[in-house]
Amino acid sequence: MDARFSELLTPFLKFLGEQEITPDASLRELGLDSMQAIELLFAIEDTFGVTLPDDDMNDTTFATAGSLWTVISAAIDAQGAADGTRVTAA
Amino acid sequence: MPELLHAEPGTAASHRPRAAAALAAVPADATASQVWAALGAAGILRDLYDRGASRPAAPDPGRLSELLGAVDARGDNGITLSVLVQAASALPLLAACAPEAGPVRAALDETLSGTATVALAATDDAAAGSDLTGLGTEVTIGPDELVLTGGKRWITTAWEADRLLVLARHRPGRHFTSFTWVLVPATAPGVRIRPAGTDLLTGSATGHVEFDAVRLPVDHLVGRPGRGMAAFARHMGTERLAGALWAVALTRRVLADTKQRLTRRHIDGQPLWHNDVVRQRYATCLVQVRQLRALCDSLGEQVVDRHDLAAAALLKSAAGLVAEPVLATCAQLQGADGFARDGAQHIRSEAAVLGIGGGVTELVLGTVADNADALLAELSP
Repeated sequence: MDARFSELLTPFLKFLGEQEITPDASLRELGLDSMQAIELLFAIEDTFGVTLPDDDMNDTTFATAGSLWTVISAAIDAQGAADGTRVTAA
Repeated sequence: MPELLHAEPGTAASHRPRAAAALAAVPADATASQVWAALGAAGILRDLYDRGASRPAAPDPGRLSELLGAVDARGDNGITLSVLVQAASALPLLAACAPEAGPVRAALDETLSGTATVALAATDDAAAGSDLTGLGTEVTIGPDELVLTGGKRWITTAWEADRLLVLARHRPGRHFTSFTWVLVPATAPGVRIRPAGTDLLTGSATGHVEFDAVRLPVDHLVGRPGRGMAAFARHMGTERLAGALWAVALTRRVLADTKQRLTRRHIDGQPLWHNDVVRQRYATCLVQVRQLRALCDSLGEQVVDRHDLAAAALLKSAAGLVAEPVLATCAQLQGADGFARDGAQHIRSEAAVLGIGGGVTELVLGTVADNADALLAELSP
């Protein structure tokens, strides 16, 4: 996962403590409630300059850090391809 | 995001006199629709959102304050509530989501011009108002049409509205991505609206709404599927700021009336206003209202432009925490006169909406607590 993504995610996870964010980390169990998930969506779209596709706007996407990053990185790649400036997500 | 306005910019300094002038010709017993039409015809509503193409869904906080002050001065709390919800909840959503053409754009344009009214229908038959993600109203999104089924309760402006902006679920589950806004003409087959049946805030035209397999073209979706709750949250702060601004206007009006009464009424040859206990209780109210006003002034732009939900929660909870004790004190200080028709006791009951509508104070305080660290950091010298 991208370091910027982990940094972005951390303040939204009130039960994270000193743990490292792993791809299989459950966002809900780490404290991400509905309102914070909405704020996280805005932060993701502002930070990475992407809009998550309608088909990926579901609870599966927001289930774990890994599932969310998979969708973000695909959106970044799609955005890069559309702009003609390929950007590869880390 | 589409450009909202094409009119010449107004000035905040001229807004309240213009709003007051526009309302001066409106009869005292005018309906919410008539008041809205007068504001729209005078250009007040367009000016409110006339902040340039980069901020089409963000009203000017100063103009919002002046608009609500002018409407509140009429003394009909129901009408003010109707104007508040349309101006600060429905319009930002429409403005953020309206494409260049189609029914959502028409709804935005007609609402801004005052030729139509719109009700925001979120509180659901199937769930408590504080349990928004439990709502039961469903929209089926097909290739050619939408089908809406369910019900909404306690919807401000409902039985005068030309259109309803309805929050519905397009899939089961409580996740925030399960919800979508739908624009529903009030006259569409399958829509039934009845008055809520209350003696409070009667000018607000509050009603209950049923949707019985209401069929609409797909261009009646407002924004993209799955983004309904996010869009609501993004603009929720504007309504919360508006609520706090109304609380200031309303408590100021009742405090001014109370002072006049205390000055006129004498006990043992002295005006009640000269009694130290009365003065201290009154002054405490004044301090609270002034604090609320300062909070509005310092957080207004942060809320409407940066969508700061913690700041919005501060405003919403402060409005509820200030309005109730201030209005209770005024009602007490007015004595038996407070029980007169539409008197201070009645106003106090109506103003309870400030601590319930759009999020009960206790729930909003939870958001404040969630943001404790950031808010403490802001208080650092």
